[in-house]
Amino acid sequence: MTQAAQFDTFTFERTFTAPLARVYRAFSDPREKQRWFAEGEQHEIEQYDMEFKVGGRELACYRFKPGTPFAGVELKSDGYFLDIVPEQRIVAAATMAMAERRFSASLHTFEFFSDGPNTTRLIFTHQAMYGEGADGPELRRNGWQQLLDQLHAALAVESKAV
Amino acid sequence: MSSLHAIPADAADQVFTALGDGTRRAIVKLVAQGPQSVSALAGALNVTLTAITQHLHVLQTCGLLRTHKVGRTRMCELDRKGLDVLNHWVAFNRKMWEQRFDALGRILQEDAKDS
Repeated sequence: MTQAAQFDTFTFERTFTAPLARVYRAFSDPREKQRWFAEGEQHEIEQYDMEFKVGGRELACYRFKPGTPFAGVELKSDGYFLDIVPEQRIVAAATMAMAERRFSASLHTFEFFSDGPNTTRLIFTHQAMYGEGADGPELRRNGWQQLLDQLHAALAVESKAV
Repeated sequence: MSSLHAIPADAADQVFTALGDGTRRAIVKLVAQGPQSVSALAGALNVTLTAITQHLHVLQTCGLLRTHKVGRTRMCELDRKGLDVLNHWVAFNRKMWEQRFDALGRILQEDAKDS
């Protein structure tokens, strides 16, 4: 069954207590970016590489830790920088794949505004296309299996409590 | 990163009530593998057509299942309205970016203290 592509756009606005140049460095320096972009409690980082220039690649590969909903599963994001205007704007395009199934392709736009010597406003716009992988039979089944498992667990707790 | 399975509370109530029954869970598992006729479901689960029809009605009401006629056979298939996996991915992506910016905010604050 062919599934039509689906689209979603969201925007975040954040204000950081730091000068614009400092905030921008957290996006342009690969080691700095890894700290906030790639590190997380639920996964190990298997790879994080970024070449910060127009046409440069950004590749991240994670594996979910045991005890998380997708324990042992690989999550990969692969993208390129399309536009860089230093201390003003960064545009990147990336795909996300889980267990080697691509499920989304998205455009990420970061806009930086200096609202004072120590205040930087960031506007992030995420425009995404979700394809078959996002709602494919396999993932759908996994999702359902998990829901049913959670339900069983919840009901088991409930029946014990009664 | 957050769980992929954050379910909106109000919709979840109906869904969980519907899935609180073993036969209905079995129906969902069967149709999750592909469309099934009403009689095939009744046969597979060893229940009467009347009973299966009632279960199907409950599942349809909360958006977990939909039916359509193929000739004289009524086919049942999983309905994405009940729990849309896409919504989970969207929520997952949003949450992931939110957490990233939280982390960035913390890093910037720590650095400011150090200097």
